[in-house]
This record gives sequence, C-alpha cells and structure tokens, in this order.
Amino acid sequence: MARGLRPAVRRVHAVRSRSPGTGRLLRFTPARIPLLALVVAACTQAPPAEGPLRLMDDAGREVVLAGPATRVASLIPATTEWLFALGAGERLVGRTTWCDYPAAAAGVANLGDGIVPNIEAILAAAPDLVLLYHSPANQPAAERLADRGIPALLLRTDGLDDLDRQLELLGRALAVEATADSLRGAIRTGLEAASVPARADAPAVLIVAWDQPPMTLGRASFLSEVLERAGGRNLFADLAVASATVSLESIVARAPDLVLVTSRDSVPAFASRAEWSVIPAVRERRFVRVHGSEFNRPGPRTPQAIVTLRNALEAATP
Amino acid sequence: MNVRAVVLVGAGVAAALAVGVAVGATALSPAQVLAGLVDPAAESAPIVRGLRLPRVLLAFLVGGALGVSGAALQALVRNPLAEPYLLGLSGGAGLGAVLAMSLEAPGTWAVPLAAFAGAIAAVSLVYRLSSVVGRRLDPRVLLLAGVIVGAFSAAIMTTIITLSPADQLRNAFLWLLGGFSAASWGSVSLFAAYAVLPLGAIWYSGRQLDLLTLGEEPAQALGADTERLKRVVLLATSLLTAAGVAVCGIIGFVGLVVPHMLRGLVGPLHRALLPAVFLAGGGFLVLADALARTVVRPVELPVGVVTALVGVPLFAVLLRRSVR
Repeated sequence: MARGLRPAVRRVHAVRSRSPGTGRLLRFTPARIPLLALVVAACTQAPPAEGPLRLMDDAGREVVLAGPATRVASLIPATTEWLFALGAGERLVGRTTWCDYPAAAAGVANLGDGIVPNIEAILAAAPDLVLLYHSPANQPAAERLADRGIPALLLRTDGLDDLDRQLELLGRALAVEATADSLRGAIRTGLEAASVPARADAPAVLIVAWDQPPMTLGRASFLSEVLERAGGRNLFADLAVASATVSLESIVARAPDLVLVTSRDSVPAFASRAEWSVIPAVRERRFVRVHGSEFNRPGPRTPQAIVTLRNALEAATP
Repeated sequence: MNVRAVVLVGAGVAAALAVGVAVGATALSPAQVLAGLVDPAAESAPIVRGLRLPRVLLAFLVGGALGVSGAALQALVRNPLAEPYLLGLSGGAGLGAVLAMSLEAPGTWAVPLAAFAGAIAAVSLVYRLSSVVGRRLDPRVLLLAGVIVGAFSAAIMTTIITLSPADQLRNAFLWLLGGFSAASWGSVSLFAAYAVLPLGAIWYSGRQLDLLTLGEEPAQALGADTERLKRVVLLATSLLTAAGVAVCGIIGFVGLVVPHMLRGLVGPLHRALLPAVFLAGGGFLVLADALARTVVRPVELPVGVVTALVGVPLFAVLLRRSVR
C-alpha cells in the first residue's frame, strides 16, 4: 500500500524541494548592495536583442526563442504573479491549479497541478514559451516540449535569492527589460524597507508546518526567510533542508518564544493535544498566524508578506 | 518454556524500556532522567514524563499487540508469511485516514477513528469475500481476499491523494508511514484498556492454535472448534491491528520478524509463545522508536522505516539458518 503511494510523493517532494546553498551571493543585505548595483548596471547596459533570443535557464540549458514570447504557459505560481506584475498578464495562456494570485489569473486556462506537466494540455494552449519549475520530473517534459519546437525555461523559484535572476530572464524573454529593471529596483527597496535588521534578542519562533508527525521548516524554506526578515529567529534554522519531521522533545529543549502556524484557525487543533501542551509556548497559546499564498512563494507580494508577519510578531511579543 | 528463555526475554525487554526512556532528541544525564521520573517538579519532568514515558509505553503496547497478532495469524493460516497487514488492514486503514484528511474532518481524533473504521471495514469485506466462496473459512482464500481488498483500497487512496492539494498528499503519506510522536498518557491508557480483551481472547485460544498447526482435520478430531477459533482469532487480530494503525500509522515487520525469532527460543506452544512474543515485540518496537528518535536528531525518522531496516536483515539471517 505504502509502496503505491511513494512515486506520487516523490513528485511532490521534487516540486517542493529546495536546494540549499545556491546563489546566496545576491542576498539583499545592505552590505552587498554595491555588488548588486553593479550586476544590475551590467544587465541594463546590454542592448535589446534582435532576432532569436538566447537564454540560459536555471538547469544550465540554452533555450532559443524565435522572438519575444507572446503566448506564455506558466506552470509555476510565482512566475504567474511576475507576469502580471510585469504588465504581461494578457500574454498568459496557461497556468497551474495553484495560481491564485492575482485574481485575473483565474480567467486563464488551468493546465493542471504542474507537478507532472500534462504535455497535451500545454500543447493545446499553443504557447511559444513554457515556464517550468526546475525539478527532476520537469526536465524530461522540457525536452519533450523542445522536440515539438516549444521552448521551455526551467526555473528555480525557491527563495529571495532567485528573484533577481528570474526577473532578468523574464524581462528578456518577454522583451520588457525596462519594466523588469524598475520592478527589480522596487522590490529591492520594498524588501529593504520591510526587513528588520537581525537582532540578538529576536524571538525564537517555531514554524509548525504539520502537527502529526510534527514538521517544521528549515532555513532553505521561503517562510523561514520571510520570518528572519520580519524580525524572528527560526527555531530550526540549523536544518539546511526546506522541511523536516522533528521530535517534540527537541522543540521543548529549544524552548520557542512563539509558534507560527499557517492554518485558518487562530488557535490550531493540535494546541489542545496533550503531547503538544508539553511545549510552554503552545500551552500558553503564544501563536502567530499567517495565512495566504504570499507566504508560500517569493514574488511581488513578498515585501507585504514580511510587513504582515512583522506586525503579527510585534503584536504577539509582550 | 525454559528458564534461559525467560531470563533472556525479560532482560532484553527491561533493557529496551530503560534505553527508550534514557535516550531522546535532548541529551539528559541518567540523574536528570531519574529526577524527571520521580519528581513531577523537576526540570526534566516535561520531557521524561510528558513525552518519553508515554511514548515508550505506547510503542511497547503496540509492538506487543502487533507481535501477538502476527504469531496468531501465522498459526491460523498455517503460513509463516502471514502478517496482520496481509488481511487488507493497512489498505483499509490508509483509505480511512486519507478520506478524513481530504475531507478536513475536524477534531484531533478524526483521523485515528477514520483509520480504525477503514481497517475494520476492510477486514469485514475480506471475511465476507472468503466466506461466500465456501462454507468453511479457507486460509488461502482469506489471504487472497486480503490482498485484493488491500490493493483496491490502495488504488482508491492513490486516486484521492492525486486529486488533493500537495500539502495534504505529503501529510497523508507521512501519517501512514507510522510514528509515535502523538503518544500521550491519554492514548496509552486508551490503547491499554482496549487491547486487554483481544489479547486475552488470543491467549485463551492458544491451546486450540497448537492443535491447528497439526492441520484442520486432525485439530477437529482432537476436539478443536476450528471455525469458531478462526472467527475469534481473526476478529481479535483485526481489532488489535486496527487500533495500532489508529494510534501510530502502519508499522510493518514486527508481526513477521518477532514471532519467528521467538519460536526458536521459546518453542512453538502458544501459551508460552504468545506472552513471550508480546514482550519481545514491545521491546523491539521500543528500541526501533528510540533509534528513530535519535539517529538524525533533531530530525525524526518514521519508525516503520527503522523496523524494516532492522527487521529485514534479521529476518534474512533467520531464513538462511532455517533453510540450512
């Protein structure tokens, strides 16, 4: 029985898996802004390409577009948001089931969950560019699309480090480089304004991803990144993975100040269970609740997500 | 049962329980563990009394129940490969749990209760299927029916999971893999009170199970009511396994490996074998859980993975020895 489940789960892990330690170079910390400005300047100086566009995606593949993309199938919720933010929303011809923002995305054809791309559904949408998450399952899909003459970009959209590269690539593919540049600047400013500098007395926050078995998020997760910028300290920042099952005992020993939940209920159901009540922060109902897809994926709403969480943390800290 | 076996099993179980309470994700000294055990106000009390002790006891009870279920079923179907999950229980329990998760059933007991209901429904279906075929309950038909009901439930379950949001999919999978993270004094006492009756019924059937190993007709000639025996043992093992799945997910290999190990040590007579299997199964699962909690701390492994990783090589060695 469990055997039958495994392939499906592996796929989901593939979509959710983050690769730790990639591209930490472009983190938006004040100290690195000169370097960033240089990179941006170098990009903006490049003249707009005439004729075929040659792009390098995150899998290291060279993807050739005949010209700027006019019909885009975005099988990543984050890139769907960027497309609209870049003013290219009307070029979207396909999206995933999870693309819930902006509201206008709902009017675009749903091409499935994007975990295992449905090639037929993609072909039916007749795109001239397909955006796929960089996962092992999507690599063969990109090749199959290429065989049919449809270019596909494999993109990593795990954290804030990916934003710069992603926007630059999308700007070139859609021939909206100027908009992409100004958006990049706006996001950077927004992130700087929203973020709280790291403090020694930052509250230790346990992120509860799931309660049975107890699962938390490590430092490779996007929510951990948002939390640290909002002035909290991830209790399990020492875990390099995106998410992990941890023992309640280690949570008790690490003594979180606050418990961050992403559920709809302000007091989650697990709070009333005996084994969770051993944790003082749970027993004393020191919960911080965030809800919404802006906490799941880096995108144009990330600065606002940081502000929301920052306010919630401040309200919960005595 | 000889004295050597009693001492060996007793010492093993005592050591397993001690190790289970002594180790964990946090490093506590033996003095701290002792203080936590005897003094509710001690600093280590929340960890030792609140988390470790109920967890060790629950693992012990579930391991014992799974071991006894395995031993009884192996005698009942006269097949050394019989395991509680072969009767379609795991498929049914999984389906129940996944249904409760995908419908977002409220309450902390919704998923365990649904798993329990699913397991009982699956076994009832297996029983119905195998009794329709002939008047007598044929062990081979029983196993076949178990396999097809299990496969069918797994197919429905995979369909539901494929159609649900990604988060739920992962969570359902993790829940099914098994673990004792949800152990509390409430679940320990509930399971203990509940398991007494089915365990007693199986132990009471011990003599008749001995007769059954001779074959169905000789057993009947010697006065065993084999049809009634089959119904009682089937019902008792199903109830035990379903409750085990409800409190900790699906944990394989305990019911398969432990009875085989103990037969060599204690002998095949069930009145002696069953208590020994209960103790050893409990000790085995306590040790497996201790490993699951500590090997990659603070991360926890699913305990079913540990029982398989430890149980399979052990079983392979036993297999080689018995073939020789």
